[in-house]
Amino acid sequence: MFDPMDDASERIARHLRRAVRIDPALDERVMREITALSAPDRATWVGQMWRWLRRPHQITLTPLGGLAAAATLAAVVILGRMDSRPPAARETESRAFQFVLIAPRATRVSLVGDFNDWDATRTPMSRAGSKALWTAVVPLEPGRYHYAFFVDGSRWLADPSAPVARDEDYGAPSSVLTVGGGGS
Amino acid sequence: MRPPFTARVLALLATMLVAGRAAAQQLDPRLERLDPATRPAVAALVDSARAASLPTEPLVQRALEGATKRASGEVIVAAVRRLAVDLGRAREALGSTASPAELSAGAAALRAGASQTTLAELRHARREPLIVPLAVLADLVASGVPVDSAAAAVLALSRQARDAELVEFRRAVERDIALGAPPAAATAAAATTTMASYGVNAGARPQRPGRP
Amino acid sequence: MGIHSVGTSDAALVRRVQTGDTRAYADLVARYRDRLGRYAMHMLGNREDAEEVLQDAFVRAYRSLGRCNDPERFGAWLYGILVNRCRTTGARAARRARRFVHDPVALETAPLSGPDGRTEWDDMVRWALARLPPESREAFLLKHVEELEYEDMARLTGAGVSALKMRVKRAREQLQAMLREVERV
Repeated sequence: MFDPMDDASERIARHLRRAVRIDPALDERVMREITALSAPDRATWVGQMWRWLRRPHQITLTPLGGLAAAATLAAVVILGRMDSRPPAARETESRAFQFVLIAPRATRVSLVGDFNDWDATRTPMSRAGSKALWTAVVPLEPGRYHYAFFVDGSRWLADPSAPVARDEDYGAPSSVLTVGGGGS
Repeated sequence: MRPPFTARVLALLATMLVAGRAAAQQLDPRLERLDPATRPAVAALVDSARAASLPTEPLVQRALEGATKRASGEVIVAAVRRLAVDLGRAREALGSTASPAELSAGAAALRAGASQTTLAELRHARREPLIVPLAVLADLVASGVPVDSAAAAVLALSRQARDAELVEFRRAVERDIALGAPPAAATAAAATTTMASYGVNAGARPQRPGRP
Repeated sequence: MGIHSVGTSDAALVRRVQTGDTRAYADLVARYRDRLGRYAMHMLGNREDAEEVLQDAFVRAYRSLGRCNDPERFGAWLYGILVNRCRTTGARAARRARRFVHDPVALETAPLSGPDGRTEWDDMVRWALARLPPESREAFLLKHVEELEYEDMARLTGAGVSALKMRVKRAREQLQAMLREVERV
């Protein structure tokens, strides 16, 4: 019998459907916060709510602002910047970026690129969580950076989730990271 | 026949000139990583760039990348020279006020096949820094989008789009290409969606009284 | 907190709260805490943000309970509040000092609860999920993890059913592509 969802995304969905346990202490925190609403407020609220309930209403559950925020979030993922300081001030501002590689079979990984003089000893990546995940954090100023992962001292890997650096010069794969200088 | 005094003065002047030139060509210590045959050629390119007020750091990094990737001296010199030329062309197109980061991104866009005219048009179209629009242009072409399609889309979007929107536009195009869409079509579709989102965002602001 | 009978419907609890029995709200919180917490965790990628958002959503829901005009559908209504809070929190998280090259979600965070602890597969799933654009991630989670109907999703998110179907389809395709990439490394 053909199961249309029998694929990688179904595996992921099954995994994600596993029960998650939130600390029950959250309940108490919620109730404390609610109780802290002043009694007159609550009484007023109940009265107002009751009057409100008895009037006909159109309800919009989800404001467009929520959609706009979602679109903006998607867009700022890479740049991670939403302040409103003038562009000149941002131009030289350095921000921390985390690089991530999933490489379950690697024994050591270095992050190498324009930001560390292509020195494979400068930014060794650390394992996080399970053995599959390698990470490193680097402060970067606005600009465009070529980089790659150097695996087990012998293998160059581009970042599978980044744009490719078209490299007619050196052959080995590289990726590109652009850090904006202004105007989110 | 030169009088001895003049000869000594000329010799002194010659020495000073040579010393001055050597000082100008003070080697970036990082270039010690290059082999002795390659080092002077790269140093000279860096020096020329400096004299032309072009950013030198991208050139040094290009050389170091080559050294780390064990490229031959010839290949390294050629790569650095190419980048220096591109930086110069980027500066011609973007103007002398362009930042080093903009010049690097501009050089990448030119290397990808964009024209200096496109860069100049971008400069006129947008007051904010051009790092991201230029980078997006270069990245799209690297993904297989024809340069004309990429340039037209980036130009159209750059007038209004913020950096973050341009980045999301690029990601959308790359996703669609990865899923099999023709690059030019993916670019056009994503550009349309991005421009349409300006309308959504405008609608999200509270309506002023009296407006429909 | 007193004893409330097990199996009291959402609607009954909501009406009790609406007539002044605040303690009944604790039952609603307990009832929805883990399930909504699951969505928040997967959407935001870390426990700290998820719990903060969850608490915020519950408090907002309480304060606007007067606008829940169909207490039978309290759960779906609460979901809508949570989805919105997750969007706002996600945007704020992108402004914090910890930034990510490609993902808005912290991968180096406390593991999800579970008997197995953190496995490679956990990491890969979280990484893949984090790489989805937020709209696609949201749609995928609501459809295939929270198992909502498209009509309910449309009410929660404000998006049309066909747009949601497209987001879910793209999310699935992207997840497949990402897992294929990873398996090559």
